[in-house]
This record gives sequence, C-alpha cells and structure tokens, in this order.
Amino acid sequence: MDESPGLSDQYRKASPWPVFVALGLPLSEIGLVFDLFPIAVGGLLLFCGSIVGLLLESEYATTMWKPLIVMSGLLGVFGGLLIVADGTTDVTLLTRAYATFAAAIVMALGVVAGKLFVPKRGIPT
Amino acid sequence: MESKIFDKETLLDLTVNFIPLGIILTFIAVFAVVSPWGFDIRASGIMYAVMIIMFTALGVLTYLSGKAIAGDEKTKPVYSQGQAFLDDSEPIEHEEADHDVDQNDHAVDETDDDETGAGADNEETDAESDEEVTANNDEEATADNDEEVTADNDEEATVDNDDESSKSDN
Amino acid sequence: MAINAQIALTVFMGVLLIAVIAWLTRIEDWRSYSASAGGVVSQGERSEYIEQEKPAGIVRWLTTVDHKDIGILYGAYGLFAFAVGGLMVAAMRIELATPNTTFIEPAVYNSLLTSHGITMLFLFGTPIIAAFANYLVPLIIGADDMAFPRINAIAFWLLPPSAIMIWAGFFAQPLGLGFGPAQTAWTMYTPLSAGVGNDPAGGAGIDLMLLGLHLSGVAATMGAINFIATIFTQRDENVSWANLDIFSWTILTQSGLILFAFPLLGSALLMLLADRKFGTTFFLTDGGNMLWQHLFWFFGHPEVYILVLPMMGIVSYVLPRFAGRQLFGFKFVVYSTLAIGVLSFGVWAHHMFATGMDPRLRASFMAVSLAIAIPSAVKTFNWITTLWNGRLRLTTPMLFCIGFVSNFIIGGVTGVFLASIPVDLVLHDTYYVVGHFHYIVMGAIAFAGFAGIYYWFPLVTRRMYQATLGKAHFALSFIGTNITFFAMILLGYGGMPRRYATYLPQFFTLNAIATVGAMILLVGQIIFVWNLVTSWLGGKRIESGDPWNLKEDGVHTVEWQWLDRRIETALTDGGDEEPIADGGEVRTDGGTESDDD
Ligand code: HEM
Ligand SMILES: [Cu+2]
Repeated sequence: MDESPGLSDQYRKASPWPVFVALGLPLSEIGLVFDLFPIAVGGLLLFCGSIVGLLLESEYATTMWKPLIVMSGLLGVFGGLLIVADGTTDVTLLTRAYATFAAAIVMALGVVAGKLFVPKRGIPT
Repeated sequence: MESKIFDKETLLDLTVNFIPLGIILTFIAVFAVVSPWGFDIRASGIMYAVMIIMFTALGVLTYLSGKAIAGDEKTKPVYSQGQAFLDDSEPIEHEEADHDVDQNDHAVDETDDDETGAGADNEETDAESDEEVTANNDEEATADNDEEVTADNDEEATVDNDDESSKSDN
Repeated sequence: MAINAQIALTVFMGVLLIAVIAWLTRIEDWRSYSASAGGVVSQGERSEYIEQEKPAGIVRWLTTVDHKDIGILYGAYGLFAFAVGGLMVAAMRIELATPNTTFIEPAVYNSLLTSHGITMLFLFGTPIIAAFANYLVPLIIGADDMAFPRINAIAFWLLPPSAIMIWAGFFAQPLGLGFGPAQTAWTMYTPLSAGVGNDPAGGAGIDLMLLGLHLSGVAATMGAINFIATIFTQRDENVSWANLDIFSWTILTQSGLILFAFPLLGSALLMLLADRKFGTTFFLTDGGNMLWQHLFWFFGHPEVYILVLPMMGIVSYVLPRFAGRQLFGFKFVVYSTLAIGVLSFGVWAHHMFATGMDPRLRASFMAVSLAIAIPSAVKTFNWITTLWNGRLRLTTPMLFCIGFVSNFIIGGVTGVFLASIPVDLVLHDTYYVVGHFHYIVMGAIAFAGFAGIYYWFPLVTRRMYQATLGKAHFALSFIGTNITFFAMILLGYGGMPRRYATYLPQFFTLNAIATVGAMILLVGQIIFVWNLVTSWLGGKRIESGDPWNLKEDGVHTVEWQWLDRRIETALTDGGDEEPIADGGEVRTDGGTESDDD
C-alpha cells in the first residue's frame, strides 16, 4: 500500500462506512428471517465489520480487536438464545443459530489471526 | 423565582395550552356525572387513566417548556425566529423590559441547566465535533456578533417598538 | 432449499464481501487507524491532508457525512418515492373511473393500495421532512453539523434497502420467485396479515415489507436521536429557547414523537413477523386482533403528527417572509406544537371506535381527540392573523403556504367530526375518511413540502426555478386536490366503502370526478418535476444571498446570510463555478425571477 492517506483522513466530511452498515443490517435480517445461511453470515460480517470501521474512524476505539471480540461475543449470546428458543417454536431455528455462530467465529478467528500475524503497523484482513 | 418566570405575560402565552387542559378536565367531570354504562373498575379505570395521564403529561410539558422559554426570554436577548445571529439583527424589545433588572441575577442560575449552549461538551459528540472545529470552516455562518450579546435589554429601549416586532413577541 | 441455490447465494455473498473489501482498501488507508502500532493520527497531522472537504464524483455522495449533502440525498430519495407512489395511485384512480374491473385486477389494486400508502408515509413523507431538517436545522441554529454525522449517514442509507424490500413483491412476481406484493393495506390488520389460511395476502411479500418497514423505523429513530442531540447541544450561543425558530421546534417535537412511536411499531412488526415465520401467536389468540390494532394505532396516530408538525413548522417559517412581518403569536405556535406532541399519544383509539371496544374507553379517546383539535386550530388562526394586513407577495412558496392553510382547515374540520363517536360510527371505513386524511396528507403535508422546496431552491442550487411553471404547478395541485378529495368526502356521505377495486354504479359520477381531479394532480406533478430538473441544471443564477428580498421587510434569516457568505467566498476565490452575476434582471419578489434557462 502506498503512503497516500485514506478517504476519511483526507476528507473531513466523508466516511465509507455508513453505506456498508446500512447494507449489512438488511442483509443479515433477510438472511436470518428467511433462513438463508450464506446471506446471514455475510450480512452479519459486513454489518459488524463496518461498525468496527466506524468506531475506529471516529476514534471511539483505538484498535479493531476489542470491538470485534465484543461483537463476536454478542453474536454468540444471540445464537445461544436462538438455540434456547428453538424448542418453543414450530419452526426450527437451528440453522439460524449456526449462521450467527459462524459469523461470531469468523470474527474471533480474525482477531486471533490479527494478534498473531499483524505485529506492528497492522493491515487487517 | 418561579412566580417571576411565570408572570402575567407568560401565563397569557400559556393559555393556548390551558384550553385543551380545560377540555379534558370538563370531559372528566362530565363522565363522572353522566355515566350511561355504569362504573366498572377496569373499563372506567382505563377511561379516567387515559384522560388523567394526558392531562398531567400536557401540564408537565407546558410547565417545563414555559420555564425554559420564559426563563431564557428574561435572561437573554430575544431575537425574531431565524435572526439570532444575523449580522444586523437587533434583539426585539418586549413590554416587560423594566422587570428585567431584578430578575437577571436570580434567573441566570435558574435556567443554567436548560441552556446547554453551543459549546456543550457532550462526551459522545466530542470526537466528531472536535475534528470539525479544527478544520477551517470559513464559509460557515458562525456569526461574530458579540456586540449584540453584550447589548443589554434595558438600554435597548430606544429600539423602535413598531407594531411588527411587538406582534411577533405576542 | 436446493443445494444449487445455496451455492449460488454463497458465491453471491462471497463476491459481494470481496468487492466491498476491495473497494474499501482502495479508498481507505487502514494504517492510519492502527493506533496501537502507528499512534493515533493527531488532529494537526491530519489537517494538512485536508484540501477539500469531500472527494469528487459519485464517491462523494456515497461517503458523505455532511448534513447538507445528506439533506439533498433525502430530498432526491423522497421525491423519487413520491413519483413512485403517485404513479401507483394514478393506476388505481384509472381503475376506479368505472365501477367494474377494467384496467387492473382487484389483487393488483390491493397491492397498489398497500404500497401507495406505505410509500407515501414512510418513503416520501418522513424522508422529505428529514431532507429539510438535515439541510436547514444546523444552518438555522448555528451548528457546524449534526451531532452525529455518521449516524446521520447510516440513517439515510438504510432507506434505499428498505424501499427495495417494501416494493420487493412487485419485482418478485414477474421474476417468478413465487410471491407477490402485500395486499394488507398500510394498517396490516391481523389475522389477514398474520398469514392465516394459506396466506392469501402476499406471502413472502409481506415478510419483506415488514422487514423493510422495520428498517425504515430504525432509520427514523436514528435520525430523531440525532436531531434531539443537535438541537439540545449544538445551538449557537445566541439561539436560546426563547428564539429557537419554529421549524427547529417542530423538528424537536417530531423527533420526540418518533422516539416513542417508532420503536413501538418496530416491536409490533417483529411480533407479527414472528407470528408469520416462527409460529408464535401474539396476534392469533383471542383479542389478538385488538392487540394489533392498539399497537399499530398507538404508533399510527402519532405518525400522522410526525408528518404534519414539521410541515406546519415550514409554513410557520415561510409564510411570514412573504407577509412582510414576523409570525403572529410565535409562542402560541410553539406551545401548541408541544401540546399536539403530547396529546397525540392519547387519541389512538379514535381509529378503533367501530371495533366494539368498551364504550367508556371509547369516550375517553373522544375527549382527548377533541382536545387536540384546539392547538391545531390555534395555529390556523395564527397563520391567518399573520396574513391579515400584511404586505403579501404571492410567490410560489407563498401560494403553497396559503393552499396549505386552506386545505388544512378542511382536513382538520372533517377530522374533528370523525373524532365524535356517533359521527364516526356512520362514516368509518367510508371514503369520507379517505377524503379527510388526504386533505391533510396531500393538501397540507405535500403542499408545505412544495412550499419549502420552492422557497429554499435558491439556497441549495443557487439558481431560481421557473416561476410560471411553479405557479402552474400550484394551480393544478390546488384545483386537483380539491376536486379529488372533496368528491371523496361526498362519496363517504353517500356511504361508499373504502379499499375496494370496484363499486356500485350509483357512485359512478363522483368517482369519475375524483379520477379527473387525480389526473389534474398528475399533470401538475409532471410540471413540477420538469421545473425542478431543468431549473437545477440551467435555471437563472441568483445574484445575492437574498433572492427573496427579505431584507427589505426585515424578515431576513440566517440561512440566507450563510448563502451570502458562500457566494462571496466563491467570488473571491475566483470561483470554481461560473460567475453568478450574469443575469442582471433577476427579479426576486414575485417569482418573475427567470424565464426558461
Ligand atoms: C385535527 C385533528 C384530527 C382529528 C381530530 C382527526 C381524526 C381522525 C379520526 C377520528 C380518524 C378515524 C376515522 C375512521 O377511520 O373512522 C382519522 C383518520 C385518519 N386521519 Fe385524522 N384527524 C386529525 C388530523 C389528522 C392529521 C393531521 C392527519 C395527517 C397528518 C390525519 C391523518 C389521518 C389518517 C391517515 C387517517 C386514516 C387512517 C386509516 O384508517 O387508514 N388526521 N382522523
Ligand atoms: Cu388519528
């Protein structure tokens, strides 16, 4: 990567993240409601990833690892709730729970990989 | 102090909300007297609750907004809507100007919490507003009208109190 | 689901994510974030990069967090939705020109009916207000931007997906995806919408619509939080509560209403979705239908005020400018705005008078509904008194403001009658109700929107619209509105029920008249769009920051001062744009500002 500054450094009234937050949310909703595994996983990753990007950009967070872990944990809890609720509904919620777990695991793996392989000047996955 | 904010003029402004309050009150009274369907704790309870909750909520909001508006009115220069930091705008004069002198010192701390002002250091807004402040925003209309802020209401009595400005302050 | 489809979806999702990442790495420098390694980029360091505020081209619009740009995006989006909703209803009115099915099938009619209502309320009404609020509130209260610019951008970008989901059924049917658009009407009453009995009203189309609505609710809530934070914390020090302008007051009140109403709608929608998809029974047990109606209308009535309050704010702000004086009884208007805000949460069951609820309960909602009419009437008197003996200038925005007042009176008075239980029991679910609320949503809300668009058109574009076309737009809109919706009020007196694709022959004449009115409206709106587009591209440049000659009457306001400075800087900088003072004969008072191009 060259030395040129990123969009949100260069322009104080621009940020690439909001569009993707707004794309990730409906995708994950659709994926979870209609039980479309890949859409759910991808949507959740896009949604959570963009939120992390936003947090970093606005300097609410200094590294991406902590927010990623928190979101991974939240998704884990949500997936767990789906499993608990599964017994009480007519429709099986298991695949939806797995989709949530999958997204959580991908993020957790991302953090592990980042910690291991991105020692300095981090360029995340 | 309260009574100074809620003086005759303010109460007059608030009459607009006393009317719906009165209507609700009237209905409460009428339904108490005339009850063709009798009294049932569940149905009638909810019936009175709806009206009483609305009455109280409107009363509370009227009180709070009256305090905020009339409070600011008595401690700060009042401009017509949309003209507060216009370069050549003058505060409008209101009839009660002579009351202001003794009210100023009391009322200031009274309304302090209402006036969160432009430079409020809200934790969450910090990050974003900071970076914007540092950048040069020459085109923004952050008016430099200190003279008007310092202008004292009482001395402005010469401002022509023509029919338009007095109406706007009605 | 078939394996093939799963694979296709996986590939689709993978490609999408990779594309996103590729795009992001192209435009973002990730290293500037990794504070752990490189240290936070300090403000000083950062500012040397800033040459301009925004990137160029399409990227600017996709990434902007500037309130003015977001306002323009909201406006474009709202107008697009207005066109879609308008074309939908044009088809419906053509069908209703004759008593029998001639033009579209009843099922299509029902789908259009549903989408028309939802589009106009959630995709046109709420966003067009957000357009004005985003652009203007920070300028008028002297804030640098919204309190949370990025949340502001998210709130906008949630809307396009939401529209696609709401309209999805219309695309799915021709694509052969096995479901059609929802036919539930905008109120989505159960058990029909809960999918009982083979889900006759739309299948997955309803699910997607519920999700889309939910999304638009999330967007509205985020916007509301932003406005509340902005108005409370970012005001210029001269802007006290006593001289906060009326438009910001109405936006503040509206945001409060949104904050209480939309999350409730969101929850109700999710409950309905759970009933449909996961086998819960929130709305399927005894009393479930009443539960839905209560939840829906607890949101639904505040929603109508969410739409009308800011529009009243625009009228209260614009109308005095062309009456050459300040708004009469400014504080009356502020207090009555707040009163409407509170009371609108205590009237919802006036939409349910005919459901057979307990008469005692019903009576209390009648009481509050009658009480809420007072603050609305007070505003009307204030507008009229402002006009009284004023130096009126009948510019296009002013005409729309006056049209607003006139239509609001008819809409409001018919509403007060409906609030009275005995009258409502007769008129409920007839075209009278349709006439009532269209006098308000079209005759008032849309009119105020037009007034605002024309009034601030020079502020945004630095060009003037074409006055003759503007006046033609007003004339056609005003005549069309009154023909169409007055005919509907009469139809209601005659007892014609609403929400049917066919009707008894005895209602033919008035229906034909209503269709003619709707066509007049359609022509007017085509002129409007034409005027906007051509004037934006090639309208006459304005010369100064006071295109309306407001200074003359002492009713100049700060957003025009901002424009003045902008024009000055553009001139002294040598101007990245063509010189502004080219017109010479730009007339600013009566809308004879420009001829075509
Ligand atoms: C002046 C105060 C108002 C009163 C007392 C009032 C009263 C009513 C009543 C009682 C109904 C129910 C009629 C029925 O279904 O039998 C109704 C319906 C409706 N009103 Fe109003 N209204 C007022 C103002 C407004 C405003 C300002 C708006 C819009 C911004 C509005 C929009 C509607 C809508 C959309 C419906 C129809 C809902 C439906 O059934 O689909 N009303 N109004
Ligand atoms: Cu209502």
